Amino acid sequence: MADVAGVPASTEVATRIANSIGPAFEGFAPVAGTLPFDLEPATFLLVQAAKNNEKAAK
Amino acid sequence: MNIHQMSTEPALMSLTSVAKAIAQKRVSSREATQSCLDRIAQWQPRLNALMAIEAEQALAAADAADTALAKGKVSGALHGVPLAHKDMYYDAGKVVTCGSRIRRDFVATVTSTALQRLKDAGTIRLGSLQMAEFAYGPTGHNSHYGAVHNPWAFDHITGGSSSGSGAAVAARLTFAALGSDTGGSIRMPAHFCGVTGLKTTVGRISRAGAMPLSQSLDTVGPLARSAQDCALLLALMAGADPEDPTAVTGPVPDYTAAGQQSMKGLTIGVPTAFYVDDLDAEVARILDETIAVLKREGAHVVQVELPDQRQLTAACQLVLATEAAAFHKRWLIERPQDYGPQVLMRLQNGLAIPGVLYLEAMRWRGPALSAHLAAVAGVDAVIAPVAPVAAPTIAESDVGNSPDAEAVIQRLTRFTRAINYLGLPSLGIPAGFTASGLPVGMQLIGRSFDEAMLLRIGAAFQRVTDFHDRVPELP
Repeated sequence: MADVAGVPASTEVATRIANSIGPAFEGFAPVAGTLPFDLEPATFLLVQAAKNNEKAAK
Repeated sequence: MNIHQMSTEPALMSLTSVAKAIAQKRVSSREATQSCLDRIAQWQPRLNALMAIEAEQALAAADAADTALAKGKVSGALHGVPLAHKDMYYDAGKVVTCGSRIRRDFVATVTSTALQRLKDAGTIRLGSLQMAEFAYGPTGHNSHYGAVHNPWAFDHITGGSSSGSGAAVAARLTFAALGSDTGGSIRMPAHFCGVTGLKTTVGRISRAGAMPLSQSLDTVGPLARSAQDCALLLALMAGADPEDPTAVTGPVPDYTAAGQQSMKGLTIGVPTAFYVDDLDAEVARILDETIAVLKREGAHVVQVELPDQRQLTAACQLVLATEAAAFHKRWLIERPQDYGPQVLMRLQNGLAIPGVLYLEAMRWRGPALSAHLAAVAGVDAVIAPVAPVAAPTIAESDVGNSPDAEAVIQRLTRFTRAINYLGLPSLGIPAGFTASGLPVGMQLIGRSFDEAMLLRIGAAFQRVTDFHDRVPELP
């Protein structure tokens, strides 16, 4: 994968990367592949702004 | 340790107090600046907290500030106050190393918006503060410039990546300092060094001219001696900025007024899991004592069941690692030998994350924030430890690029990263000391853009406790 990214890594480095980032893959596994089709990243800003407005209106 | 209130040494005053004293001509800017420089001369050999010390320029600027004040010209709320900041805030004409060898000689051509707003308020530059290389490390180690040492115990870490900011504010070398928080980089040094640190909501303060690490997670914020000092700095820096389209528009709340209110009648949540699991016994004790103070001051303390924080933490790592690798890709190809081993390893990690997985982590952010806000709908803020332990030693946390380095880093930052993923504000406050004299902090976590609530609770807590007023002493 590092080769494809244009930054070749030795086998040792590749193994270390796998060990380092593997837990993040495992931690996110319950979410990955479960998101609804129409969900887009900018939803975060909408949620953030909506709560902001709600607090400001109180 | 000593409690400073009766001291006549200007450097021991709070930011709020020294700004007022200078404005009222009870203390001159030169006296305040010289006092900080005297302490820097004493402490720097033990702490390694400053990247650059600009004594002559600082004193000349202080004299100019005093002259202007004598003529009735006041720059702003911090007229003549000397400060130093994390060495990643661009300051036109100054070298900004970002804690790296790659940018050892980088001279900024622009000034960051946050820094410019503090300059416009009248602050003076003392120099710049040490940091983790490219702000990518939570301990305070730096393979190019050496580790920053904890003022409370020199063989212990400061936390990072705002390592110099935490150490310098704790030792009273600067009245406050800018830090940055992408995965815990303000709250960790605040916790380990016993100072107050505000991780702001993503979008609250402009990031223009601040070195990027992760565009989705980066936040600018202050480390200072009190919540009220943080409120003053936030009020000066917050708000829209044409140079940064991610900085939100709209009015900036009166943060200093918020800090004068009590916490009576507020509801504060304590997580039922994750943040209370596997705590060091002394951190657990201090959490209990903090809750007792909150109750005594009239807050209702209730348990809150938060969504799975492990998934949020994992999502944070996927986003952070990918975006950091993208920022650094050119240097990863052209200058890999110029990175420290641990930072190089962690940047290489990001290359292994598939694009689809990164985008899934970004797409989940909205629903995840929504779920969190629903879980905390009945509370004004959540209280939790910043880390499960007090500061470990420099030696035991010097894991470099060893096979278990990432695991050690993830353990230290396991209580901070979920908050970064959700983009929420969090205020780290000193909450106690271990039997061996190491500070321990707690974090107040709020709703998006509700820094005022955190500052209100933090300031109220600090009116009845003295942990934030304690000052380390040289042996």
